[in-house]
Amino acid sequence: MNPDDTKFREVLRAARPSPSLPPHFKENVWRRIEDAEASVKSDTWLDALAALVLRPRFALVAATMLVMTGVLLGAREGNRMAQKDAKAQYITAVAPVTMR
Amino acid sequence: MNRSLVIVLGALALGAVLFIGSFAASQRICRMCVAQPTGSLDWLQNEYHLNNEQMGRIQNLHQAYLTQCAAMCQTIDGKKQEVEAALNNSTNVNPVAAQKIEDLAACRAHCQSQMLQYFISVSQIMSPDQGHRYLAEMEKNTLGFSGK
Repeated sequence: MNPDDTKFREVLRAARPSPSLPPHFKENVWRRIEDAEASVKSDTWLDALAALVLRPRFALVAATMLVMTGVLLGAREGNRMAQKDAKAQYITAVAPVTMR
Repeated sequence: MNRSLVIVLGALALGAVLFIGSFAASQRICRMCVAQPTGSLDWLQNEYHLNNEQMGRIQNLHQAYLTQCAAMCQTIDGKKQEVEAALNNSTNVNPVAAQKIEDLAACRAHCQSQMLQYFISVSQIMSPDQGHRYLAEMEKNTLGFSGK
């Protein structure tokens, strides 16, 4: 295709008519761009964190991780305490308080 | 108050509740499940890696010692009551009370030497390393030794 072929380009443009734009299209586009820039500028790290926290996927993953970590650490601690209890029980049996 | 701050603080509080709740529940359940019945020597077996043969010998020794120990405890309780009676309404330590206190101390000393003998006998059934560790641990917990 020869790009300088103006006649061909005119025919091509006529074959694909572009729809007419709604009223105040340009103004609306610029306003939306300005609004978007303004909201980006006003976002603090706290707003960003709040937005992150409110994401369902993030909230679900964070909650699952917290519960799993709690369960694992709790089980480890419970096991340690049970061992401590068993040791204390043995010592109390072989060395009652009366003789210490 | 800032909406974002409320959201973040709320999320932190919820996270803390989730973590503490799951930790406490898991700890409680695990402690209950792993708990050993009274008189069980399972802890000893696990802690000092004892085989069944060693465990059997220690169990026999343990039962014999508990019988001795209960008798000694009764004797000590009797001596304590004698000291209490000798000191009753007294504002100073009279010669009778002093004698009773000495008797009680002698009884306790005898009891402690029996206990120490039991620990030594148990430690000799274990492997040398474990026996040394057991003896140090028991002396530390019952007689207040430094455990060095």
